[in-house]
Amino acid sequence: MSAAMAAHLSVVTAQSPSLSAARQSVLHLYRDFQRGVPEIMRTHQIDMPMSQIRTKIREEFERHRDVKDLAVIDILLFKGRSEYQETMNAWKQETHIMRYFIKDDAPPKPEGFLEKFLAGRD
Amino acid sequence: MFRALCPASSAFRAATLYKNAAVAATPARTNALALSNFVRMYSSVGLARTDIEKRVLDILAGFNKVDANKISLAANFNNDLGLDSLDTVEVVMAIEEEFSIEIPDKDADDIKSAAQAVEYISKRDDAH
Repeated sequence: MSAAMAAHLSVVTAQSPSLSAARQSVLHLYRDFQRGVPEIMRTHQIDMPMSQIRTKIREEFERHRDVKDLAVIDILLFKGRSEYQETMNAWKQETHIMRYFIKDDAPPKPEGFLEKFLAGRD
Repeated sequence: MFRALCPASSAFRAATLYKNAAVAATPARTNALALSNFVRMYSSVGLARTDIEKRVLDILAGFNKVDANKISLAANFNNDLGLDSLDTVEVVMAIEEEFSIEIPDKDADDIKSAAQAVEYISKRDDAH
């Protein structure tokens, strides 16, 4: 076999011809992610309400809501696609997925000298 | 039929008669079955349009971003209901789940109002 076989859910990386085309592919990616939530929860045995995972996916998309540069959007699309593939194929494991939720559960970062000192870090 | 004839005949005759009677009874029985099945309802006939409309509107009402007073069949998700593109994806997905169908991307992109969703679902035979 000359070329390696494409793995499941592989998508050829492409430059988006226009902002509207990029927008379309972002929406497709978002749909794939949201549609995949039940399966992600099943394969990774995530003990969390489904709505929380849906909200997190939304949050990750919202973070880049204001990106207008086509090249940047393409990179984000690529990253999102690989994230999706890695999650659905269980190349990521539970801990990698839970990393998205660390900040939600962690206590607020200490501010001010004394608080930082008491928390044992600067 | 069998019972009426049976006492008058020998055991052997009865047996043949029984056979004949059984054969003769078959068409009558199938007729009766056909009659009783005549009004059978098939689930694949499709959903009533009013039913689809009601369920789609109920889904919209379930979204807390949507103003309940603005919900109507003709209302555009984006312009009238104030949903952004990601919300629209979520609405269409909620509709998918409600009717247990999977809407391919290119069709899902075209659904921009409740009326269009109803239109699409009424065309899908596997929606239920």
